[in-house]
This record gives sequence, C-alpha cells and structure tokens, in this order.
Amino acid sequence: MLQTLPADALSTELPKPILQLVGIRKTFGAFTAVENIDLDVREGEFLTIVGPSGSGKTTLLRMLAGMDTPSEGNITLHGKLINDVPPNKRPTCLVFQSLALFPHKSVGENIAFPLKVKGVDAAARKARALELMRIVRLPESYFDKNVMKCSGGERQRVALARALAYDPEVLFFDEPLSAIDYKLKKTLEKELKDLHRETGKTFIYITHSLEEAMVMSDRIGVMRAGRLVQVGTPEEIYGAPVDRFVCEFVGEVNTLKVKRAADGSWQGVDVPGTFTLAPPRSGAVLDEAFVVVRPEFMRILGPGESADNRLGGVVYNEYSLGSRIQYQVRVGAKVMLVELSRGRALPASLDRQVTLGWDAADAFTLES
Amino acid sequence: MGHKRTNAAIWAWTAFVLVAIYLPIVCGALASFNKSRYFGFPIKTYSTEWWQKTLDSIEIGMIVKTSIAIALLVTVFSVVIATFGALAFARYEWKGRKLYQKLILLPIFFPQPVLGLAMLLGFNAVGIQTSWMTAVFAHMIWIVPVVTLVIAIQVYGFDPSLEEAAYDLGCSRTQVFREVTLPLLWPGIWSGMLFAFLLSWSNFPLSLYTTGADSTIPEWLYAKMVAGYTPMVPALGTMATLGAACLLLAGGLIGILLRRRAAA
Repeated sequence: MLQTLPADALSTELPKPILQLVGIRKTFGAFTAVENIDLDVREGEFLTIVGPSGSGKTTLLRMLAGMDTPSEGNITLHGKLINDVPPNKRPTCLVFQSLALFPHKSVGENIAFPLKVKGVDAAARKARALELMRIVRLPESYFDKNVMKCSGGERQRVALARALAYDPEVLFFDEPLSAIDYKLKKTLEKELKDLHRETGKTFIYITHSLEEAMVMSDRIGVMRAGRLVQVGTPEEIYGAPVDRFVCEFVGEVNTLKVKRAADGSWQGVDVPGTFTLAPPRSGAVLDEAFVVVRPEFMRILGPGESADNRLGGVVYNEYSLGSRIQYQVRVGAKVMLVELSRGRALPASLDRQVTLGWDAADAFTLES
Repeated sequence: MGHKRTNAAIWAWTAFVLVAIYLPIVCGALASFNKSRYFGFPIKTYSTEWWQKTLDSIEIGMIVKTSIAIALLVTVFSVVIATFGALAFARYEWKGRKLYQKLILLPIFFPQPVLGLAMLLGFNAVGIQTSWMTAVFAHMIWIVPVVTLVIAIQVYGFDPSLEEAAYDLGCSRTQVFREVTLPLLWPGIWSGMLFAFLLSWSNFPLSLYTTGADSTIPEWLYAKMVAGYTPMVPALGTMATLGAACLLLAGGLIGILLRRRAAA
C-alpha cells in the first residue's frame, strides 16, 4: 500500500522548506572548512547543528547569516538565491556566542537598536522594546540599566530580545549558552524552546553539546570534519546513529569490534567470544562490524537471567551519576561501562565478579 | 624591620625622581619672577613684570597663535588619518598588514632633527615655500604614527562581533561606523587628540626646519636663549607648560568619563 502513494503525498504533510542548502562548500586557502552540505530547513522548526569544535558548524552558520559566502553551492531562502545577499539585507538574525551586546548602550537601547536602524520613532521603539522585555522575562525597570551590569542570564535575554526586535524569519544561535553555568543553562534551554513555540519562527542553533541539542530541537544535524554526518529527530539520532562518531557524540558507549568467522558467526576481536548481532540498519553485508551498546542498555545478569550476549568481568570502580550509578567493568584489558538505576545498585561492588549481558536488539551494528 | 627599610627606600627613590623631574620646571618658573634681567640664584627681588611684558608682547601673541594653529590642524588631520590607520593596523586582515605595521611606526624612531632637515630639503626640491603650514605637514609625519598606535590600542580591545552584530541587525556600513565603531573608539580617539596636540605644541626640531619665516613657541624660546635672553623666556616657557598641563588635566578628566561610559 505504502509504495503506491505518490511521492509528494508524504512531503505535503511536512512544513515546506524555508531555507535550502545545496552542495555547500567553503574553503579558506587550502583548508576546506565545510564540504558537500545538503540540507532543507523547514519553516518553523528548531534545528540544531552539533559537532565538536573545528567541525565547521560556525562557518556554516556564518554563511547562512551572510557573513561568509560559500565557495560552492547555493543557499536559497523561500526559493530565492541568497548566497551574496549581505547580512543587513537578509531577514535573518544571529545571536553571537559572545552575544555582542553594545556596551555603550543601555538594555533598552540594545533591544530597540534594530528598530532605530529601521527609522522607527522613539516612542514606538520604547513600547516594542518593553513588550519584548516582557516576552523574554526581563523586568521593565531594566530598560535604562547598563547592559554590562547585567548578569550572564540577563544578557542572554537582552540578546534574544534584540534579535527578536529585528523580526527575522530565521534566528541563528552560535552557542550562546556555552559560557553559562549548568543550572541556569538548563532553565534557559527550556525558555528558548518555549520562546520558539511562542514566536513560531525558524530557529537554527549551533552547539557542541548534544545534550543541549536533545532538549531543544525538533531535528538535529551532526557535523564532523566539515560534513553533515546525520540529520534526524533526537529520537533518530539517539536510536539509530549512522556511525560510531554519532553514537559516541550522544554519550558514553561500549564498542566492540567483531569479525565474521568462516561459519558465519561473529567473533570478538578485542575480547574473545561469539556474539549475536542485529543486522546493520543499512542492510549491508559485512565481514567486520562494530557493536555499540549504551551503558544504560548493558545489564548485570543475576543467576538464571539470560541475554543474547554475555561477557564475564570484574567491577573496577563505580561512579555516582545522581539517579543512576555507573560501573566500570574490566573484561580482560577492555573497559566496559554499565549504568544501573540507584534502586538496583550492586552492594559492595568493587572487585566483584559479574556477568554482563545485552540483547542484540538493544545494540547497534555499525559499519564504521 | 626589613619591610620598613624597603618602604623607606621606595619613598626616598620616589622623592628623588619627582624632584629630578619637577625641580627644573620650578626653577624655570622662579627665574621668570626675577626682577633682574639676568638669571641667578638666589633671586634678590621678585616681580611679575616679565610675565606682564610677555602677555603684552605682540610678537609673542603671534607666535602663540602660530603654535596653536599648527597644533590644532595637526590634531584634526592626525586623528582622522590615525583612526582609519588604526583600524587597518589592528582590525582588518589584509595583505601587507605586517609590513604596514612596521613602516607606520618607523618615523617615531627617526632622529627628529634629521627628519626636519630632510623635510626642508624635500620642500625645497619640489619648490614649496616653507611656512607654518608646511610645519603642520612635518609634524604629522611624526605624530600620525604615535596617534595611530594610541588609537590601535583601543581597537585591540574591541570585539569585532559588535560590528558584525550591528550589520546583521540591519545597519548600513556607515551606520555601523556611526553607531558602534566610533562610540566605542572614542576614548582612544580622545587620547590620540591630546597626544597630537601636546606633541605638536612642544615640538622643536621639526618646527625649526620647516616653519620658514614663521615661528613657534619652542623656536622662539631657543632663539632668545641663543641671543637676547630676558626673563620673558622662562615666563613664556612656564606659561606654555602650564597651558599644556591644564589641557592634559581637562582632557584626562573627559577621557575618564568617556571610558567609564564606554566600559561601565
């Protein structure tokens, strides 16, 4: 039945793309910062690009904002080519990593700045700035406050309000939360997502923290060495990573290298044993593969419990992660991580002999 | 005990340095209040006669006006050139920037009498009659690099993403300059203006060669020391120093206010 559906029947259910990237490449001299990027950004979505530092995500964002031009490829907004349109002529706005608040202007003047540039009169500017301050939860009394006297969280809100004052169709964020302490960051992440709902605008966010991306995004793109490795919903990135890089980016993982023996069974390379693997998602027939098991899917088997795969080891150490406890289990020279909920913690765990187990369905079989 | 001795030594040294710097200026001021025509300590009779004569002198009035005119023009031109020069020096990445950074600073280290002579020969070669206006040009050769350096320090402390943000928020290039670059560079530009004015005001070697028939305060002081000394020499010298000090004080106060507004 599914195959008989016309190809565009599915796509009409998705919001139409607002921003399209085709074959984007950016080189600086001999260095290629970004390569072969194809991406459709849907109208109104919260898309996060994650990647380690140097993966090209900031370069990509700067091209989208108009501060850099692609060496190759096309960027279109609403179907119109915007490669060479300067930032001041694009209906987009970037929230900088440094926030780039004007130190010589007050909170109110910062927020009203894009309106001043547009030539809006002073009274209307102030009214709109106060309205935006309410939206980002800044007290009205802050209007005349020196922006440099605001706390880190308050500055975030000022930067956000200033970007909204420009009334852009797409908002870009270049790791604006990277210098904020953990607790405040968690609050601001949620506020940003609420703001996304409230404004209905398209948000494109850049971060090196997948945790941050998971909380906020509708979709996540993972970048590595200038390329987009995978784009998908947080569930897809978490549940169906395309390779070990994406897997490891999501969090700590246990990886085992396996080889196919003459009889067709999978034999461990770093640890001895025969393993049962789910077929790789790509459907490829492999001679060599990586088995990746997240610590939370690894179990410690009690007497009589069974699993598709088993490994004997010794608990070397335990780390408390709050609601859960992580155990470092040594299997020969290989270190494996197991996470258990606090209620199932092992008593007197150190140096205890344990049997690790996991089911094939809980692990990923990856080519690379 | 050792701490006390160190403290005493620091005080003694500080006092020595202050005396070494300021005693000559005080001596000059005292000499200008000597009633007698010739200089010698102890002063027998004090008088403000020479100060009055200095203030009344038409010749000195003209010289002061020339000095002020040169210093003002040097200030205006130097600051405009140096502001853009400082942006090229400290902000923008361009081919040849490293070479420019070295070349622009070189004139500061030229011996000024040699530079002055070279300028005079140059003006002669191209057939320009030297006057106070050629001195403006000569002063700038030496002062623009200094002011460029002063403003460049301010540029180095300036986050370039501020300009990008303004551009991204809809500003044209000129709006970016007016709304962001200029206000943030103001403290540095102000310091640069003070430097330009005061360095021109007190310059002797470049003026000596390039003012032609006109004369500035330092030139007049020198000429009168060579021949025709009267206590008007220390009187005018003291006035020029006091004028510079007042300007510096007022300028410094305004500078502090600007900096506070920009950085607070």
